[in-house]
Amino acid sequence: MSPRPPSLIVVVGSGGVGKTTLAAALGMASAREGDDTLVMTFDPSRRLKDALGVGDEAAEREVEVPCGAPALLAAHLLDPRRTFDRLVTRYAPDAVARDRILHNRFYDHLSGTLAGVLEYMAVERLFEVAREGRYARVVLDTPPTRQALDFLEAPERLIGFLDSGALRVALKPWFDEAGRLRPTSRLGILGRGVEALLDRAVGLDVLRDMAEFFRAFAPLYGGFRERALEVQALLRAPETLFLLVCMPREEAIPDAMFFARRLRDAGHRLGPFLVNRVHPQAPAGRARTADGLHALEAARLLAWLGERDRRGVASLRALLAARGELVEVPLLDSEPSDTAALGKLAGILREQLPAGLI
Amino acid sequence: MPRRARRPRASTLLDRLAAEELIVVTGKGGVGKSAVAGALARLVSGRGRRVLLLETDPRESLHQYLAVPPSGGEIVAVGPRLLLQNLRPSAVLDELVREQLRLDALSRRVLSSPVYRHFADAAPGLKEIAVLGHAFRLVRGLARRGAPRIDLVVLDAPATGHGVSLLAAPALAAEVIRGGPFGRMAAELSRFVADRGSCAIVAVALAEEMPVEEALDLQRMLAERLHRQADLLVVNEVLPSFGDESEGSDHDDPLVSLYRRRRQLAARQLARLRRDWRGPVAELAMLPLDRGPELLDAISDSLAAQLDRPIAPEPA
Repeated sequence: MSPRPPSLIVVVGSGGVGKTTLAAALGMASAREGDDTLVMTFDPSRRLKDALGVGDEAAEREVEVPCGAPALLAAHLLDPRRTFDRLVTRYAPDAVARDRILHNRFYDHLSGTLAGVLEYMAVERLFEVAREGRYARVVLDTPPTRQALDFLEAPERLIGFLDSGALRVALKPWFDEAGRLRPTSRLGILGRGVEALLDRAVGLDVLRDMAEFFRAFAPLYGGFRERALEVQALLRAPETLFLLVCMPREEAIPDAMFFARRLRDAGHRLGPFLVNRVHPQAPAGRARTADGLHALEAARLLAWLGERDRRGVASLRALLAARGELVEVPLLDSEPSDTAALGKLAGILREQLPAGLI
Repeated sequence: MPRRARRPRASTLLDRLAAEELIVVTGKGGVGKSAVAGALARLVSGRGRRVLLLETDPRESLHQYLAVPPSGGEIVAVGPRLLLQNLRPSAVLDELVREQLRLDALSRRVLSSPVYRHFADAAPGLKEIAVLGHAFRLVRGLARRGAPRIDLVVLDAPATGHGVSLLAAPALAAEVIRGGPFGRMAAELSRFVADRGSCAIVAVALAEEMPVEEALDLQRMLAERLHRQADLLVVNEVLPSFGDESEGSDHDDPLVSLYRRRRQLAARQLARLRRDWRGPVAELAMLPLDRGPELLDAISDSLAAQLDRPIAPEPA
């Protein structure tokens, strides 16, 4: 029995492996197959906008990509702050509560710097789009992370932080409703220890900001928690497929295998590994690259690059064995900067990917 | 032209780097940041400084270049005047808690409290500050008793996030937290990383569009948020020339054509850097070497040749 074609493809991998370009090409391949497709990406690069033929308006809304496919291809550039603001606006019980959060100094820092906000916002936006149901398939490009794990843990971590009774318990008793510091603590020995530490370490100003933030956020907890659970269910649904992109280098294999195991352990469906930018093999003595002194050196380098990637791919294949497939995407002679070049990559993917995946 | 008195120790860029207290090597994953950090650490330790090479990635990689076993979190000697440590930021925070609370029983309870764990895990900028603070305390001799004497820390910055978020974390925290020892420490750290006389910033990139874009972006953000610039850009893994450099010159061997095109892409990005990057740029050729000591030697040699040349004094 072959599983249904995925309605959500999540492209994951370390930074710099070419996730964004591959996500865009997958989107195009999908639209060419006749499925209305949305590509969601964090990548603000000009080149990708060029490649997709969209402008900055794609940060506001989904924008159609003119690519001559029989179905719709749309692109959406994600902006975490905007998404966070939108969520606050939606879940705040009234305008006063909303403004209290949006204008809080702590929120300002939090939304820009809190680890995982970017990742969490990706899944939030994704969830909105999935619920609207306008596309047969969504391809999500995830933010670059060293180990690519943050993306999966982000909802839990953020919820843990925002929702946590823990912080509220820690902060609430410090201040009365008017924001004045209470004279005595009701937290007992543990609370006093934490209180003494935080007080000594960060001072009361920041604690007041935080307390205010968490108090303002309180009415939103319910909505957030519910959403996080739904988002997690969506990511574990059988219609969701994760594609792991990695480089064809032996040193990249441990990270890739580790992440693959984590995905499977967490109950996610993992598709073939996409091994990107595989350098071609150069038969010895064939690459007559240049005249003169450096010819030999250049030929040696090309042979080594091909051999290095062959070794990497072979090791990965051996490790994967029966557990999974592997798709090689060759090094192209340019990085796609228009829809035609992206189409070439889409064609390669279509050819290489197992049937029924797109 | 009147000759101005120069500080004797800063006649080359390498001299200047060796006179710093902290060198932050920043760049995205996969650009060879660790190799450059390792090579720089070796070069500045060769100038007589006691150097700690610091990485913060849970998956250690620097030891592979130095042919030593993983450091496992401890500070270990890996060469003459050269030490290596893989730092877990949360361990630094825990140590700070113990120091602040002094009482063992109390700090144990705080450290195991979910309140603290959440705070340490998610509070914006805390881990970045912990890492920079660790370096600062070591080079200023403020670390706990028994810590080795270190003159200079070379930090292989985490690949996650933008390089500037690490460097701007103290300034952000100092803005939010105005008082208390933590606020004072954040303010001090933000001055430390903004001062080119104590902290150098070395960006590492590849000669490809996105990494170059990011390097230029880093330069803009450093100017905007820290009112300073990076001291050096290292462009790694630059493809050599394959004969005819002119665009569109196809070779009858498709392999050569492919690499010529790739070389042209790289050349375009290098030209862009020459135009837009303010400050010194070093190029490292793509070498047929796997990650390891041999590659580190080659990179060290190449960097030494490029950085140990007299520099023009910068306009004030």
